[in-house]
Amino acid sequence: MTANGARPRALDVSTGVGAAYAARLLADVGWDVVKVEPAGGDPWRHRESRWGGGAGGAFTFANAGKRSVTVPTERLVSLAAAADVVIGDFSETGIRDAALPETIRSELRPRASVVSVTPVGLTGPRTGWASSELVVQAASGLMFLTGEWDQPPMQLPPYQGELNGGIAGATATLAAVRMHHADGEQHDADVSMVEALAVHGYGQISSYVYRGEVPRREQRIKAGLRMVPAQDRFVYCAPGAVSSMRMDGIAELIGEPRLADQRFQTAEGRMNHYDEFVELFVPPFQQRTAQEWFEAAEQMHMTFALVQALDDLFVCPHLEARGFLRTVEAPDGTAVQIPGRPFRLEGGPPEAELGLPRTPGMHTNAVIAEWLNPA
Amino acid sequence: MSEEVAMSGPLDGIRVLAMEQAVALPAATRQLADLGAEVIRVQAPQRARGEDGPNSLTRNKRMVGIDLGADGGAELFLRLAAEVDVVCHNFTPRVVQKFGIDYESVRAVNPTVIYASVTGFGMTGPWGPRPLFGPGAEAVSGINSLIGPADGWPGRPGTIVYADSVCGSNVAFAVLAALDHRDRTGEGQHIDATLYETSVAELGPALAERALGATPDRIGNDDQRYALHDVFTARGLDRHVAVSAEADQLAGAASALGLKGFSRDGFAAAIAALDAADVAARLQDAGVAASVVNDARDVVTDPQLWARGYFAELEDDGDSAPHVAIPWGGGSFVTLESGRPVGSDNTRVLRELAKLTGDEIASLEERGVIASVRGTPRVAAASNEKRLERGELSRVDANPSEWRAVRDATTRTPGGVQ
Repeated sequence: MTANGARPRALDVSTGVGAAYAARLLADVGWDVVKVEPAGGDPWRHRESRWGGGAGGAFTFANAGKRSVTVPTERLVSLAAAADVVIGDFSETGIRDAALPETIRSELRPRASVVSVTPVGLTGPRTGWASSELVVQAASGLMFLTGEWDQPPMQLPPYQGELNGGIAGATATLAAVRMHHADGEQHDADVSMVEALAVHGYGQISSYVYRGEVPRREQRIKAGLRMVPAQDRFVYCAPGAVSSMRMDGIAELIGEPRLADQRFQTAEGRMNHYDEFVELFVPPFQQRTAQEWFEAAEQMHMTFALVQALDDLFVCPHLEARGFLRTVEAPDGTAVQIPGRPFRLEGGPPEAELGLPRTPGMHTNAVIAEWLNPA
Repeated sequence: MSEEVAMSGPLDGIRVLAMEQAVALPAATRQLADLGAEVIRVQAPQRARGEDGPNSLTRNKRMVGIDLGADGGAELFLRLAAEVDVVCHNFTPRVVQKFGIDYESVRAVNPTVIYASVTGFGMTGPWGPRPLFGPGAEAVSGINSLIGPADGWPGRPGTIVYADSVCGSNVAFAVLAALDHRDRTGEGQHIDATLYETSVAELGPALAERALGATPDRIGNDDQRYALHDVFTARGLDRHVAVSAEADQLAGAASALGLKGFSRDGFAAAIAALDAADVAARLQDAGVAASVVNDARDVVTDPQLWARGYFAELEDDGDSAPHVAIPWGGGSFVTLESGRPVGSDNTRVLRELAKLTGDEIASLEERGVIASVRGTPRVAAASNEKRLERGELSRVDANPSEWRAVRDATTRTPGGVQ
């Protein structure tokens, strides 16, 4: 392991988002992270968004705080030997996209660990399956639970499999490093995005194995209406658990005393009188803006929330006060705001400069000098 | 539960003191326990509700009941805090300051402590004092604004506590990073993690794409980068298949389902007449990315997950059941143990860590500073008929133990850290 106090080193040989985000998180906590790119650059530098447009956005977020090198395979192997960990997508597709030799994983000898973050993992009967973010979400069990109960399942926001795989990959890296500290051996990690995402469904797994229940999507929205349209936008209006929320407080807040009726006080009651409930519950919210409802609810000690859109986050006073969004230059030179370290630290390593490698390989000479030919 | 909690893992020897409730922090400390840390969960006995049992967030934790509001309660907490590596809480800033167990107070008794605050909005900032629950975090972070059909209302990421659990994974990472930093520098630190910011971080790529000209909104199951990207309903009750295909794969996808050419309606109709697993297998054979939209049973009986050793089994009452454990797979580094009632470990923890005598412990009990709580009977759930009727459940399987046959038939090639 890197000597006393020196920054540990990670070599990121991935394309895509999952493994790259694992390496980005390590940069966020003070590691020296170097990204190896194919000569033409990571194809994700030009990858558009789910909605079309936004080319290079995912690359910008997942690779901020890293330096970039472009090197032949022999030099890559040398850099790996000078690193504590190597992180990549070592699936067949991942290796091909990164323009690496097929056998690259077995050639890497970092001090502590080779960490792989792939859609389904490197072992098991489905290792060769074609994948996508949609397929990862579907296989994880989370998509089945997302959407309206009487409609087909709905996808989550983009990259949830990739990002959860990234968090798991970063955590696995640190666990592997601790194991290396203990025994001096190399401990490799094989992280599956499906498995990382499936963790969040632990409650549904228990419901099934202990009671045979197969939970369905958004079962309770029908009984509580979590989000309703206010004058200007939606407001989240379910204080506490929807299944147990009491309507008498809401009745007072929105000025609809009929909602205090006993038949609306339980989820079951609201389901049994659903049409009548909706007729009484929804229209009053049109009388004020979401912000006004939020503040009025706060006065009554009810926990409402604004249903914000992405544009709202760029001007959020709370995120601004905490310095959460950081400005980086995207590959095309545009200054963009992206989330910085996902948690604040007092003490510990300072938050890294979130510079993005504007061009592939722009740090090759500097990294070779530092990692392979130290003075 | 056995008297000794077997431990061997990357966090062997690490002690965590967690004043925790709800989900986000308990999910994080459960991960730390699965890595071998000794997690001591502190709760106010008077507020304890049925949180023990095999499927709870309290498994593999030592359970201590301390009333921090009682005279001497905070002092006892600080006495324990002096003896651990990590102290964490998920209460509002106001509560931890009221009890005098904030970072500064703990650091005064433990200068290299790693202290994690897990709150809705954080220890600083204009919204800091406000409470926030996971579902609210999903709303305010923008997650909900991106779920659902284009002409529909915002949706939620499943019936689960998504924001809480994601926050927990971030906190587990932050704690390991802080331990790594302490090992190298001798410095402790204060981790200030929030439901809001860890949820916003989940939209990091989308935020950057927005800043670069994309227009993120609800678009159902579409994705402009694919020629075909959708969820199709298959034969049977609530069965579905997710498919992502490039333009040059459409003919092959159609052929795989016995169609002569691709048309969206024909493709959907063909899937509606087939089993979901059959569709996914046929499309995968043609090189098309496809999966059954797995429900809870599908996940528990997934040969891929069993082959990779994803589940850890928990023995309880003479029976065993699979649990998800470490997010990067490979099960757990420790033997899973059921959660126990609050206060079950009062005597042991106070003797070992706080070095209190039996008389001192008895005195604390007498004064109401510590207490034990018997397992609280859970509130009976509504009948399954009612839950099925109102759409809460897709179905109820009479014998949910097919996973045993899958487990026994699977050759293990574990994932995770080896």
